[in-house]
Amino acid sequence: MTRAIVTHDLVKVYPRRDRPWWRPAGKRPPAAPAVDGLSLTIPAGQVTGLLGLNGAGKTTTIRMLSTLLRPTTGSATVDGLDLVRDAREIRRRINMIAGGERMVYARLTARENLWYFGQLYDVPRARLTARIDELLALVGLSHAADQRVEQFSKGMRQRLSIARGLINEPSYLLLDEPTLGLDAPIARDLRAVVAELARGGVGVLLTSHYLAEVEQLCAEVHVIAAGRLVARGTPAELTALTERQHTVEITLAAAGASADQAVQALAARTGAQVTADTDEQLRPRYVLRHRHDLAGDLATTVVAAGGAIVRLEVTPPTLEDAILALADGARQPEAVAA
Amino acid sequence: MPVAWATLKRNWLVMQRAYPWTYFIGTLAPGVFTVVLALLSYEAIGGGRVSDWFRGASGTPDYLGYVTVGAAALMFTTRMVLWVAKAQITEQREGTLESQLLTPARRLPYLLGVSLQAFLTSLLELTCLFGTALLLGVRLPAPDPVTLAAGVLAALVAVVGLSIPVSAIMIAAGEAHITQNTLFCLIGLVCGFTFPPALLPAPLTWLGELLPATSALRVLRAASLHAAPLGEVAADLLLCLGLGVAYAAVGLLFLPHAERRAVIRGASA
Repeated sequence: MTRAIVTHDLVKVYPRRDRPWWRPAGKRPPAAPAVDGLSLTIPAGQVTGLLGLNGAGKTTTIRMLSTLLRPTTGSATVDGLDLVRDAREIRRRINMIAGGERMVYARLTARENLWYFGQLYDVPRARLTARIDELLALVGLSHAADQRVEQFSKGMRQRLSIARGLINEPSYLLLDEPTLGLDAPIARDLRAVVAELARGGVGVLLTSHYLAEVEQLCAEVHVIAAGRLVARGTPAELTALTERQHTVEITLAAAGASADQAVQALAARTGAQVTADTDEQLRPRYVLRHRHDLAGDLATTVVAAGGAIVRLEVTPPTLEDAILALADGARQPEAVAA
Repeated sequence: MPVAWATLKRNWLVMQRAYPWTYFIGTLAPGVFTVVLALLSYEAIGGGRVSDWFRGASGTPDYLGYVTVGAAALMFTTRMVLWVAKAQITEQREGTLESQLLTPARRLPYLLGVSLQAFLTSLLELTCLFGTALLLGVRLPAPDPVTLAAGVLAALVAVVGLSIPVSAIMIAAGEAHITQNTLFCLIGLVCGFTFPPALLPAPLTWLGELLPATSALRVLRAASLHAAPLGEVAADLLLCLGLGVAYAAVGLLFLPHAERRAVIRGASA
């Protein structure tokens, strides 16, 4: 048996909350599924990314895989164990860390929190004390071990939440925006920990809005939109798909027919989308969108045609752009072959 | 039972840190006022006497003892329900419900841990109540210790059992105050804490019999006011335990559904 989390046609539809329970549903359409036929494989020993815009179904997917929610239809297994039938056994093997969530007890100290969760996970007493010290050191909270969480900063709470998520030495770790709100050095340390865990055989599912984080950690990325898988591949493959989103905006000192013709010719030759208008000072402005960065070609072309550039701005593709582009490509499923 | 023990310890620490000692004045006040009001009305209105009807309906001429035991039982019931039934909705409000549900720990030992902490806290509060009643001149006869211990145990099972489905209702509904106050009004009215249920219309007395606090109270009064031997209260003991276990079973059956509903509400909020 391959060690992995495997989902088949996972669907989650939340019940509608816009009518009292005693009133019949009538002819209202059913709620749209939050997750719609999602099939994924999250292998052990690898970080797998799950990307999508807000509302794409990432958190719902993670909540299902962590057994907090039951799928409406479809199935999922963790190392061959059924997500619904074997939920208690699965909970021993997984854990979840959600950025921005509290998930720890404010009135307890960091050490007391980890001790309590260690008891809930039935961590052997002989192992627990050492494990707590290891985790506090790992997340940089050794100095605050006996301080109450209510006195912690937001970042310290998040670090404790990360330690909580590791207390049971999970085989699979579900990370939902884990670095949200963390200072850069702590976020970097956490990424190092995640990479180390994966090298040690832990399967990690990561959702994040930080593209650099995903590129750094993930061997494979799944992009979902409206609950459906729209693309999957390595970060490099997905980036290649979205290169057309480079945007170059150029503003010229004065209008001129030759410069205009040169820009249009460049767009026609490269296949770039071009829009032309004027800025607030009525100077001609062109915006070119292409999968490659055309800034150099455009500047050369304009100057050669006698144009004078007053402003040139290049907007590289952001994660938001990438996901938008892939969501647009949802009409062509499996945009990247795995 | 590491989960029960850990939860007891956690709750004890949280209680010590979250609540100043003055908070417990507020929790004692209703019980103390019930005894004081009963004492004043007994002396000022009843002239220190009770009617034959009361004697027949309650089985005792000792009105102050009757009310003191009832007030103590009511305080015990409300305090236990507040701790146990509100445990999970408090977790939800504190943001820790999901981290609880992620663990493989079962709900029953968790709730037992909460119950043990609530029981210890309630015993301290009851000691204060009985001490105050003693200062006010209320004298209770020596109880039958075995029957009293059995009654306390049965009352514990009864209120914990009752609290579990209430907990499920609270987290499913996402609110605690309406649920708890409705329950407290109901049990205060029909269970016979401060007056004999025979005063009520028949349907309300039947309703009272469905709540395990009613039979628990009969056992506690029999033990403390009449020093009744265990055999005399066996039927009420069994009824109380049976109802408590039945409520607990129903609650444990529905609790996972209520928890998922709470998670869905959190997810779709």
